[in-house]
Amino acid sequence: MSGSSESPLLLVGWDFRQTPVELRERLAFSPEKVREALAALRQEGLLAEGVIISTCNRSEVYGLSGPGLDGRDPLEAVTEFIAHFHGIPKPEVDASGYKHFGADAVRHLLRVAAGLESLALGEDQILGQVREAFRIASAAGSTKSVLHRLFQKAVETGKRVRSETGLSSRPISIPGVAIELAQKIYEDLSPRHFLILGAGETSGIFFDLLLARGAKNIEVVNRTLEKAEELCKRGGKAVPWDQLESRLARADIVVSATSSDTPVITREAAKVALHQRRGQPLFFLDLGIPRNVDPKVGDLDNAFLYAVDDLQEIAERNRQERQKEVGPALEILEEELEEFLAWFGALAVVPTITSLRQRFESVREAEFDREIEKMVHLSERDQEKIRRIASSMVRSLLKTPTEALKDEPDASRRLDRAEAARHLFGLDRPPKD
Amino acid sequence: MKLTALGLYGAAEAFSIGHLRTGREGYGRTATFLLLLGFLVHFLALEVGGRSAGTVPYQNLPGSLSLFAWMLAAAYGILFLRHREGSTGPFLIPLVILFMAGSLIVHSSQAPHAPPDPMRSGSLFAMHVTLAILGYAGLTLSFVLAQMYLLQTRQLHKHKLGLLFSRLPALDVLSRMHRTSVAMGVLALAVASCLGMFWAKRNWGTYWDPKVAFTFLLILVYVFTLIAPRLGWGGKKIAWTSIAGFVLLMFSYSIVNLFITVGHVFR
Repeated sequence: MSGSSESPLLLVGWDFRQTPVELRERLAFSPEKVREALAALRQEGLLAEGVIISTCNRSEVYGLSGPGLDGRDPLEAVTEFIAHFHGIPKPEVDASGYKHFGADAVRHLLRVAAGLESLALGEDQILGQVREAFRIASAAGSTKSVLHRLFQKAVETGKRVRSETGLSSRPISIPGVAIELAQKIYEDLSPRHFLILGAGETSGIFFDLLLARGAKNIEVVNRTLEKAEELCKRGGKAVPWDQLESRLARADIVVSATSSDTPVITREAAKVALHQRRGQPLFFLDLGIPRNVDPKVGDLDNAFLYAVDDLQEIAERNRQERQKEVGPALEILEEELEEFLAWFGALAVVPTITSLRQRFESVREAEFDREIEKMVHLSERDQEKIRRIASSMVRSLLKTPTEALKDEPDASRRLDRAEAARHLFGLDRPPKD
Repeated sequence: MKLTALGLYGAAEAFSIGHLRTGREGYGRTATFLLLLGFLVHFLALEVGGRSAGTVPYQNLPGSLSLFAWMLAAAYGILFLRHREGSTGPFLIPLVILFMAGSLIVHSSQAPHAPPDPMRSGSLFAMHVTLAILGYAGLTLSFVLAQMYLLQTRQLHKHKLGLLFSRLPALDVLSRMHRTSVAMGVLALAVASCLGMFWAKRNWGTYWDPKVAFTFLLILVYVFTLIAPRLGWGGKKIAWTSIAGFVLLMFSYSIVNLFITVGHVFR
C-alpha cells in the first residue's frame, strides 16, 4: 500500500508547524466535541472509523473513508466537515495543515506517538494524549479493527522508541533538568524538604511542579508573607523572611527565584546550614537574575549549586543529544510501519479474494487428483467432464463471498469481512497436505 | 567449567555496559540472567573442585581467588536484591572477572599442588575461611561503591553531566548500597575472626595471631564508616574513609599474609 488515494486510511491535520496558534485554537476539540464530531462524521458516512487527536499543538482526524462520499475526495470531504463543524471558512482551514492517505497517514501517526512531531522533540506527554484520543474514540464506538490495530501500533511504537533510543531520556526543559539533577542527589523527592525563596511566577511554576511530583514538604519564604501564603493555598507552608537561615538547615533542596539585587544566600549562611545538616547534601537551584545564591556556595562540600544559565546549557546539550537519536528512532518507526502495512495490505479485498480462490483451487486439485486415480474405469473424456464440474462448483461457492467482499461500500465493514474470511479459511497459514 | 563461568561473567559485563550505554531494559535483564547463570556454573566448578580436594577450595591461590570471585558475585547479588539497582553492574562485575581470570592464569602456571593439610580441613576452618572471603568480597564492593559516590559527587560539583552521570544512581542510593556492602563485609569478617580465633586456640593453643590485630583494626575502620553519619560526617568523607579501609585490607591480605603471619599463607 502506498500513500495513494486508493487507500481508505486518511489523515487531515493542523499542527504548530503550519498553522498559526489563533487558527489552532479555533480548530481544537474538547472531549465532548470529539465525540460529537466523530458521531457526525460517521452519521454522514464520511468516515467508517475515526479518531481525533486534539492537543494545544495539533488537531488531527484519522479515519477510514466511509460509504457516504458519493465520489467525493474523502480528504476534501472531511476537511469541509471540520471547517463547517468549527464555523471556519474552508479556504482558511485549507490554507494551512496537511492531508495524507495510506502509508503516509500511518507514518505520520507513528511519528506523532514517538514524539518526532512534537514541539519539544521526544516529549512524553503526546503518547498519553494519543492513548487518550484512542480511548475516547473507542468508547464512542468509533473504532473497529483497523483503527484499533493502528492506534495500538502507534502506542507500541511510541513506547519502543522511548525505551530503545535516547530520544526521551534526557530532559530539555529547565524544570525537567532541575528535577533530574535533584533526583541524582535524592532519588525519591516526595519525602524531601523543599524551600522555595520568592513567590513570583517562576516560584509558582516550580511549586506546582513539585506538588505534581508528590512533594509533601514545601516551604515558601518571601519578603511579603501574604504572597507566600497565597501560593501556599495549593499546599505547602508560608514562612516569614526572617526565618530563612533557620529553615535552610532543614531543607534538602532550595529553589531560589527572588528579584533581589544581592545574594540572599551567602557562603557563610550555607556553611552554617551544611554544618547543622551533619553531612547531608544540600541542592541549590538558583533561578534568580541576578543570582540569588553566592556562587562560592558551590565550592562547599555537600553543597551542589546550579544557576539558571547552567540549567539552560544542560537543556541545550540534551536537545542536541536527542537530535542524534532521531535516526535510530526512524529505523524503529519504519519497522513498525512495515509490519502494520503488511497486516493492512493482507486485509485488502483483492489479495483476500485471490488467496481465497487459490485456497479453494488447491483443495479441489488435491481432492480431484487423489480420487481420480482410483476411478480407473473412467475415460479421459469423463475425467475432464468431472474436472469441469468441480471447477464450476468452486466458482459457484466463491461467487457470494467474492461479491460480499467487493461490493460492500463501507470500507471498515469490507476490511472486517476480509479479515473474517482470512481467519475462517486460514489464508495466512500454509495449506495442509 | 571455570572457563564457561568466566565467559558468562564476561557476557554479563558486555550486556551490562550495553544497558549503561543505551538504557535498554532488555540488556539489563540479559546481564542479570547471564550473571546468575555464571554464578551457578561457577558454584558447580567450586563444588567439583571442593569434592576432589575434600574441603572448600581455599588451600591454594587459584582456589582462593576463584572462591573470592564467586563471593564477589554473591555479594553483588545480595546488593542487587536489596536495592534493585543494576546500574552498578558494569563497575562491579569486572572485579568478578578479574579474580576469576586470575584464578585460571595462576592455576595453569602452577604445578599440581600438595595434598590438603588435614589439620586445616575441618568444617570450623572451612567456615572461617569462607566467611572471611565473603567479608573481603563485601568490603571490596564497598570500595568500588565509594569510588562511584566520589565520581558522581565530582560530576555534580563540576557540572559534567554526560552519559555516565545520567546512568549512575543517585548519591543517596550509592550511600545506602555502600552501607549494605560494608555491613555485610564487617559482619562476615567479625564472625570469621571469632571462628578463626576459636580454631587457633584449639589447634595452636593461642588466640593470638598478628592477622587478628589487623582484622580488628579493619573492622574498626569500617564500623566507623557505618556510624560516621551520626557524627555529622558527609558522604565524601565516608567514601574516602572506606577507600582508606580498603588500602588497609589490601595490606592485610598481601603484606601481613606473606611476611607478618605464618598461619595465613597460601601455598
